[in-house]
Amino acid sequence: MLAATIRRTPLLGKMFEVDESTGLSDINTWPAMMIMTSFVWLVVAILLGVGMPVIQMAEMGSDLFYTAITLHGAALAFPFLFQFMMGISLHRSGGCMGKPASGKLTALIYICMNGGAVLLTLAVLGGLKITYTVMYPLPLVGAQMGAWSMNMVVLGFTGIALVLTSMIFLYPFQIIRMSFFGEQREELLLSARSLKDPGMLGMVMSIMILLVTGTPLMIVAGALLLALYGIVPLEAVTWASEPVVFQYVFYIFAHNLMEAMAIMVISAVYATLPLYLADGTRKLYSDKLANLALWILLVTSVTSFFHHFYTTNPGLPTALSYHGNIMSWGTGIGAAFSIFTILATIWKHGIKPEPGLMAILAGFVVYILDGVNAMVAANVAVSYQIHGTLWVGGHAMSVLIAMTLMWMGVLYHHYPVITGKKLDKVLGNRFVTLYTIGAVGLLYSFAAGGAMGMPRRFADWDAGGWMSVGVAILVFGLFLIAGFFTYMQSFFKSRAIS
Amino acid sequence: MLLFQLPFLLVFPFIVYRKCFVDPTPSNTGRGKLTRIETVWIFSAVALFVIANVYSISYMPMSKTAATEASGVAIQDVDVTARSWSYEISDREFEVGKPVRFSVKSVDTMHGFTVYHPNGKILFNMMLIPGLEKASSLVYTFTEPGKYKVRCLEYCGIAHHGMQDELTVVKATDKSS
Ligand SMILES: [Cu+2]
Repeated sequence: MLAATIRRTPLLGKMFEVDESTGLSDINTWPAMMIMTSFVWLVVAILLGVGMPVIQMAEMGSDLFYTAITLHGAALAFPFLFQFMMGISLHRSGGCMGKPASGKLTALIYICMNGGAVLLTLAVLGGLKITYTVMYPLPLVGAQMGAWSMNMVVLGFTGIALVLTSMIFLYPFQIIRMSFFGEQREELLLSARSLKDPGMLGMVMSIMILLVTGTPLMIVAGALLLALYGIVPLEAVTWASEPVVFQYVFYIFAHNLMEAMAIMVISAVYATLPLYLADGTRKLYSDKLANLALWILLVTSVTSFFHHFYTTNPGLPTALSYHGNIMSWGTGIGAAFSIFTILATIWKHGIKPEPGLMAILAGFVVYILDGVNAMVAANVAVSYQIHGTLWVGGHAMSVLIAMTLMWMGVLYHHYPVITGKKLDKVLGNRFVTLYTIGAVGLLYSFAAGGAMGMPRRFADWDAGGWMSVGVAILVFGLFLIAGFFTYMQSFFKSRAIS
Repeated sequence: MLLFQLPFLLVFPFIVYRKCFVDPTPSNTGRGKLTRIETVWIFSAVALFVIANVYSISYMPMSKTAATEASGVAIQDVDVTARSWSYEISDREFEVGKPVRFSVKSVDTMHGFTVYHPNGKILFNMMLIPGLEKASSLVYTFTEPGKYKVRCLEYCGIAHHGMQDELTVVKATDKSS
């Protein structure tokens, strides 16, 4: 039994043991399993994260550095954050729709995500150092040059394909199934929500984005995989193996994946904030404004991915570059609406300073700060000076860190339902403080490095006198880790609700 | 330009947040006032959006390239081929004030072509996708003599950090005579 597996897991089992007395196992157990597993990946990711500055300072070699950066990025983005988000979202969908979040499909989501991530990890340890953005056709070129073996490419691509299947097809299917099909079970319905609710609208929007923008990548990656397995000749898939094709379908997905995750977390904020209002009104300042913000985000995000390609001009025509510029900034208008809605809600109703809500709001601040950096980078003129520097790498990382903090806050709300236990407030506040210091510090360290011309994914930090940035990254990284371990400690010390 | 944008966009949310934390009780601000604040806030965001992006057009390398081409000044053409992990550059010496058109292609995997000012700042960078029909290109006019470092800023494998080169810019002399 799954619940028993969780219980028997060393250390983490005590934190995420499911309360089976409530009859809510169908919405509790799989989410708990996903959340617990995602934290294992997070531990891997953060240890590798501080490992990188250490590798640089101790001059432990570029091979180790590139292995660390590949695994760090991959673990952080997919089996950690995406899985963490899936766990909470499935729990939320279950409780809001009154449908079970269990079953074969959920099991398959879990197996594909974690199995795929394990395969990719093995491939990276076997030599495949391609960073989490794959940098196609680097995997093939590297194999030709003898940097790694073709077997590792096949293994790694298989892992990536499984992870993507989980994210692009299986998870959206499950959410669609829970939202629109199947019978509602009264006893699972915790707080009914309709699609007019910003919290639900955002969730459905984001899985649609995953499906629509992910399918082309699945087709291209699938064709490549068939060629790698030798099922079809490589010549038959030249349409897919063309680097330009791959790069575009990759970023159409990768960019929108980030937007989808942002929409999902912002909608979770919209759903959670009202629960903590001081006057107990449980209402946002305006649902309409909140939904409008989500729609603006959705519409502008779809074609803003061009900002990844400005510097290939004239490969990317100037008009499209500028279009990408405007669309990227358009997401900022959506964010401006979100900022207003959240602030106006807080202003009007007051808030209870619970650690969960503080984490959400602090995460939102980091998210906005990072959004500003992102918009600056998405300006065509600026992009010519900072594309490929730590500025951009810092943006990708900070958005993940910010979303993580917001989800961690949202988990405060779900945790008692899943485990029947309450979290300690003092530890909670300490976690939010430490984590926020780390997150903001990292954000600015990376941005400063980028402004100084320090390249991202670059195993020689001394080359341009950038080691001071490395020290800052290490220091703030340690704050982040301290925050995270405080968070874990608060689960460990949680007490049963009497 | 960064310096203009950052403080404004950062400070604003911070101030308002602080106000909310210090005074957690519900405020009796009238609906009308909130609507006014909303309008002003959104309007400012849109205004900033428009101003920053229109203003930046003249700084886009594409605009500068087009302007230089239109001016009829002679442009020095330089072809660059990038491969793991080196550059083949048709000319590594340039003159101050004389526009140079860099046309850069990669023949194996993704690479970058980034030129650093001797003071360590990035002057411009290009991303090179192999197989792209049009070379990544732009026109740049050096304004100071010195040694300019070239680095690859797109991760291209285990020796990525070693992929570099150097350009020399000399004072505009009587080279023409
Ligand atoms: Cu390179």
